[in-house]
Amino acid sequence: MELQKFQYDNKTVKLFAYATMFWSIVGMLAGLLAAIQLYLPEANFNIPFTTFGRVRPVHTNAIIFAFVGNGIFMGVYYSLQRLLKARMFSDFLSKIHFWGWQLIIVLAAITLVLGYTTGKEYAELEWPIDILITIVWVVFGWNMFGTIIRRRERHLYVAIWFYIGTFITVAMLHIVNSIEIPVTFWKSYSWYAGVQDALVQWWYGHNAVAFFLTTPYLGLMYYFLPKMAQRPVYSYRLSIIHFWALIFLYIWAGPHHLLYTSTPDWAQSLGVVFSVMLIAPSWGGMINGLLTLRGAWDRVRDNVALKFMVVAITAYGMATFEGPLLSLKAVNKISHFTDWTIAHVHVGALGWNGFLTFGVLYWLIPRLFQTKLYSEKMANQHFWIATLGIVLYAVPIYWAGFMQSSMWKDFTEEGQLKYQFMDTVTYLKPFYIARSIGGLLYLTGAIMMIVNLIKTIKIGNFHEVETDSAPALAKEYKAHATDHWHRWIERKPIQMLIVSLIVVAIGGIIEFVPAFLVKSNIPTIQSVKPYTPLELHGRDIYVREGCYTCHTQMVRPFRDEVARYGEYSKAGEFVYDHPFQWGSKRTGPDLARVGGKYPDSWHFNHMYEPSSMAPGSIMPRYPWLIEDQLNATNTIAKIKAMKRLGVPYPDGYENNALKDMEKQANKIAASLKKDGIETLPDREIVALIAYLQRIGKDIKANNSKSQANK
Amino acid sequence: MKKNSILKLLGLLMLSPLSLFCQEQTIQKNPSAFSNPLFLVLLSVIILLLIVIIAFSTALKNIAESDLLIKNNKTNNAQISKTLLFLIGTFFVSSLNAAVTSKGNSGIGGLDSMTFYTMIFVIIIELILLTTLLFQFNYLLKQKKSTPEKVVKLSETKIVMTLTDAVPVEEEERILLEHDYDGIRELDNNLPPWWKYGFYLTIVFAFVYMIYYHVAEIGELQDKEFETEMKIAKQKVEEHMKKSANNVDENTVKLITDANEIEAGKGVYIANCAVCHGKVGEGTVGPNLTDSYWLHGGSLTEVFKSIKYGWVEKGMKSWKEDLSPIQIAQVSSFIKSLSGTNPPNGKAPQGDLYSEGGASTSSKDSLLKQPNDTIKIKLPNESTK
Repeated sequence: MELQKFQYDNKTVKLFAYATMFWSIVGMLAGLLAAIQLYLPEANFNIPFTTFGRVRPVHTNAIIFAFVGNGIFMGVYYSLQRLLKARMFSDFLSKIHFWGWQLIIVLAAITLVLGYTTGKEYAELEWPIDILITIVWVVFGWNMFGTIIRRRERHLYVAIWFYIGTFITVAMLHIVNSIEIPVTFWKSYSWYAGVQDALVQWWYGHNAVAFFLTTPYLGLMYYFLPKMAQRPVYSYRLSIIHFWALIFLYIWAGPHHLLYTSTPDWAQSLGVVFSVMLIAPSWGGMINGLLTLRGAWDRVRDNVALKFMVVAITAYGMATFEGPLLSLKAVNKISHFTDWTIAHVHVGALGWNGFLTFGVLYWLIPRLFQTKLYSEKMANQHFWIATLGIVLYAVPIYWAGFMQSSMWKDFTEEGQLKYQFMDTVTYLKPFYIARSIGGLLYLTGAIMMIVNLIKTIKIGNFHEVETDSAPALAKEYKAHATDHWHRWIERKPIQMLIVSLIVVAIGGIIEFVPAFLVKSNIPTIQSVKPYTPLELHGRDIYVREGCYTCHTQMVRPFRDEVARYGEYSKAGEFVYDHPFQWGSKRTGPDLARVGGKYPDSWHFNHMYEPSSMAPGSIMPRYPWLIEDQLNATNTIAKIKAMKRLGVPYPDGYENNALKDMEKQANKIAASLKKDGIETLPDREIVALIAYLQRIGKDIKANNSKSQANK
Repeated sequence: MKKNSILKLLGLLMLSPLSLFCQEQTIQKNPSAFSNPLFLVLLSVIILLLIVIIAFSTALKNIAESDLLIKNNKTNNAQISKTLLFLIGTFFVSSLNAAVTSKGNSGIGGLDSMTFYTMIFVIIIELILLTTLLFQFNYLLKQKKSTPEKVVKLSETKIVMTLTDAVPVEEEERILLEHDYDGIRELDNNLPPWWKYGFYLTIVFAFVYMIYYHVAEIGELQDKEFETEMKIAKQKVEEHMKKSANNVDENTVKLITDANEIEAGKGVYIANCAVCHGKVGEGTVGPNLTDSYWLHGGSLTEVFKSIKYGWVEKGMKSWKEDLSPIQIAQVSSFIKSLSGTNPPNGKAPQGDLYSEGGASTSSKDSLLKQPNDTIKIKLPNESTK
């Protein structure tokens, strides 16, 4: 057979590596800022753009899609070419992919800071960016499959199975979850409402973790770990079983984010059991990684990149064991809505994604630049500082989460709540401080790495023209009789793509179809009515300011929550919530029953200066809501969009909307005046108060009066 | 010798949860240390450290045995580790005993001090042991580094081999697949049995779980679970109330004059009421409590009721889930004691005139009379509008 010569595209790999390094620092800085704001609310600099509710989505999006995203592409572009013995399909597509992805990130950062958000976690980007993501993702897939088709290696290595699974599943998740109705260029409403929106969102949210943070990185592990350790992969059989089991089971587990909420019981139970079944497939990856190092542990000692890999894989094992535990209802009861979850995801993000990326960078950059790492010593210091950083980050907030939950649930013997919500906030402050120090250490380590890598790049020569050779694939292929049955699909990339899609689609379909079609899953409540135009505007402000990043709107059926907040939430209450705003973290108290709990003036004062109404509060001030005029120009568009989503406003209501709005605003302004607060009725604060006073009131109306007059 | 020590360790490990279990059975009735979060946390730390120590010492032993150079040190290390482990075991069990026999209502964090300090002591010992192990580990590694010529083959222990069912590293050529992906080869080792059976087990769990909750419907789903939780809580509170004198309601409440109790009422007031009614009752977003006008009645019973049940539609929440009946009585009496104190910045009267002993009289719409701006907030751009 004649050998064909070809060149690898190292330039795109280099660009993605630079982007990974750059965005890692941006993402971590945003995280550190958010962490500091939890005990020092003034750290928002008193401007809307840097307030927690906007910084937190910037942090999560930057880490997931910018840092890890570029890390994925860096690894894929490097390993794919070498595993297939082919140059990337098209340099032009590579270019579009790289610059398109960076454009998305920049747009994301700008729009999130400006408050353009859909209000759905990890899918906050508005519809124009969603479309852009879809296009760039398709370009990535096109480029990848083009390369696969032109390969000189008959069979696809396990890393590529993971890349294919990632590509098709992320495409499915992104499209299904992002279906929304545009109102203006930067504003849209989720197609789904309430319980259904929650199910779709957490199907997406959970699998963003699974198919953006996990499967592509497992693919990277399968390439870079054996390369670094120069050892064969431990078990081919294990690869097969854990790959298929992982992608099949993962997709079902979304509802474990919604335990004890108003989602149907059967969906919750599916979430529980599929999470438990995930332990083994996840650990399959860890075992295959760690046991690949059999007989090479002496190399781990000398190779800093391998050290990072080992800790990354171990952190992956810990996080994927803890995950199923957190999905058990008995544990979830304690952990959910607290910092425990935050600690859990950071073991994954800092340990697994962070360390694996660092490991790959330390290995890859010297190779791309044909030199040695500038300083092994500095890299080792980075390793220790970052490890310490993770411990210092995670341990305090594990403790904090556990203690906060225990305090929430504590009753006196007389049957009263032992602690006010504020007591728990005060208790947490020292832990928040310790956690931010852990984060600072981790960031310091990352900066050291970047300095180290820049120096390496400076002394090296970029390996632009890397030539390799391999024989072309023969047209005919005859399988060996002794081959494993799985070899068949490894030769057939398109079949692999289709089978993967079927495997990942099953779970979603089985969970969604009944939730959308069977009426008994969301029993109708007659007294629940659509929001008034003013309330709708207020709700949009609530979403814009990212209130959901700290406040939940979901009273779970527990004694303490019913005592603290009121009647537990029912599925039928959320049918007009596009998008749902249940939240996932209770840094501040739940708001599902806040309507009518305080006077209007309380809310006004509280938004202006939270600690005046709630001494000890760590909520930032929102003075701009009081000054800024409400943008009412899109009121009609909003009502029309809602009507298209099936919200039953009367025919032609959009024409009366402005009048209704004015009436309600004047009423609130008058009620504020009674308590000595002068404000114009057209300010944003008035709309927000209208919304806050409405939340959870529709079903309260029936039974609160009788109670008060007892 | 090696097997012996492992057996002993396993025995210890097996025994400790067993003893836990036995003890738990006997002490189930009265509240014990096991319901104490601090105890549980300390216990998990102890167990976790123990596991780490065992893992570490096994690894250490493997390295030590695989290396001929430092065989002399080995016996010493093993001896020390063993002794220390036994010490820990003893403390561990004794601390457990101490913990479960304690009443668990005094001392540190709800634990009696004896248990607390024993457990802390155990943790410290474990940490010291771990540090020693770490030092030994480093020492061994350094020794190895100094002899780079020698190729060290780490032979795995029997336990590891049985757990993974792996082909030994020396013989792996046998299961090496012929594919070569950019220099990466693959072995075809068996699935680790524990992993495989663990996977089966989780699948069985999944079926049992779904049948238990959704087919046989034995398990309580969340609505039912909530009802049960509330029922048990209600029983407990009722039982407690029968025994305690701390039980007043709107029908039995009497004005308290005892200075200490009024002081207690003031504490409750400052903590919970002052943000809305002012530090001295002058009223901010809530009404003034020092004048003779009341929106919902000024008698002690009526004040008590307003606090207990709230006036939800006016922004006064019900406090019965936060304050005990006696606390409500205290704070009501404190509020009554504010009457006529005339604090500065008092909010204008709202509601009906109430005079002690007499019936409430004419309604009065105070808002028309004197507008009041105690908490008017200055807006930065107010002047421009």
